[in-house]
Amino acid sequence: MQCSVLDSNFVYVSTSTLLETQGTEMLKDISSHTYEVIKNIAVGVIDIVHPPRLGFQLTLKLHLDNIPRGKEAIKTINKISEIQALILSNQLKEMLKRFNFQDDSQAMNNNNRPIRIVYHPSEPFYVFRQPEKITAVFPMNFKDNSDVVIAMSFFQELVEVGSQKEMEKAPQCSWSPVPPFQLRGEPVQDLTTNAGFVSFDITSRHVQGKRLDKTVWNLLNFYAYVKYHIKCSRGYIQRRMRKRMDSLVKQLNNTRLVEEAPQKEDGRCKYVKELVKVPKGKSMMQQRCKDMTRRVRISKFRIKINGCARFRFNQRWIYLPRFSSKSSNKSYTKMD
Amino acid sequence: MANPLRLYLACIKNTLEAAMCLQNFPCQEVERHNKPEVELKTSPELLLNPVLICRNEAEKCLIESSINSLRISLKVKQADELENILTKKFLRFLSMRAEAFQVLRRKPVQGYDISFLITNYHCEEMQKQKLIDFIIQFMEDIEKEISELKISVNTRGRLVATEFLKQFM
Repeated sequence: MQCSVLDSNFVYVSTSTLLETQGTEMLKDISSHTYEVIKNIAVGVIDIVHPPRLGFQLTLKLHLDNIPRGKEAIKTINKISEIQALILSNQLKEMLKRFNFQDDSQAMNNNNRPIRIVYHPSEPFYVFRQPEKITAVFPMNFKDNSDVVIAMSFFQELVEVGSQKEMEKAPQCSWSPVPPFQLRGEPVQDLTTNAGFVSFDITSRHVQGKRLDKTVWNLLNFYAYVKYHIKCSRGYIQRRMRKRMDSLVKQLNNTRLVEEAPQKEDGRCKYVKELVKVPKGKSMMQQRCKDMTRRVRISKFRIKINGCARFRFNQRWIYLPRFSSKSSNKSYTKMD
Repeated sequence: MANPLRLYLACIKNTLEAAMCLQNFPCQEVERHNKPEVELKTSPELLLNPVLICRNEAEKCLIESSINSLRISLKVKQADELENILTKKFLRFLSMRAEAFQVLRRKPVQGYDISFLITNYHCEEMQKQKLIDFIIQFMEDIEKEISELKISVNTRGRLVATEFLKQFM
């Protein structure tokens, strides 16, 4: 991104999506259709600069003054940030469309060298042609060991579900701990994984009509999908553990010898305190205060008349500090 | 409850009933100190013989008793990698919140997954029989919870995989 003090209303954004094959970069030109889509993202805000900056496929000139205000600004900025994804997805679509699934002779030639696609940094995946299909291979890497285990169980389910009869129209999915032989010669750091390699076989059926958009979207976002599933699984495990812990603590508290006495014993209402939630020190202090208040009040009135209890208790003979959980009620004095 | 599990738990329960006879005993070495002798192990005359109860090679329970404290260490079954990480996560979660449990040890004994430390003070505050029942129930609940978690994780994975592949169709 470039901006100038002299020209502060404009910002230049340059981007490129390099596809690599056997270490050689392939600078795929952007199609005219992609240019049209980019221009229509934010009319008046985006201008395409010809020629692009050196080393980049596309340079855009953004008119900051023309960006709408309020919620529309966020939408526009989000769309601008998706331009790189848009270019890559269009390139992948064209690549899939151009591959001729019926011509096996192309697969036998040297045209089936794997193409390395990088949608997210440090998460490349490979696409290469085979007879009657295109294979997309995802090397899977995770930082945490527990993520690896959850991901492996997910891949196992993915392969099992993919092999079912109901899913015969979906791409064939397979998992392998070692890279396929077609990836021989690729960089070692890309082929070093801790969760194996997931492969999808894309056939001509998956690139026809509207399915092409979905296929490309699913391939580009496979990594994000898996990571989101792992994150949700971990959150679910955490919730279950917390719930089970609460139930175990309640069971343990039931083993106590002294149980909490009810505040009113006339049967009109019952008061049950949850020791688990209220801190022990605070609940003890509150209970002592209430006991002391009640004893003082009772001792002042020797003659007890049933029904007049509320009149007695409304009179305050001795002031005692109140312990309230409300943060607004802060009427306490520090005792030296 | 399966028969082998019931026998295993009954054996542990009977051993705990015999071992949980704790009384207050001040430290013999330091004045005005009261320490759980099963942790220090400095005075052999205050320690009872430890009892190891094994259900199989993977599951066992070690009960170490002394005059004023009792330590129970459990090793939980872990059949595969997923159960392994679920057990580790769950028991570590509980151990880190040991203050809520009071009788739970913050760090398990080496070679075991989770440990309890019961002192004579706990026996004074809590009913002995209910405490033993709690430990037995704890063991059952842990096993049940880990099985349920494993099934849930696999079920979630299956549903997510189905939804992902449906998008291609």
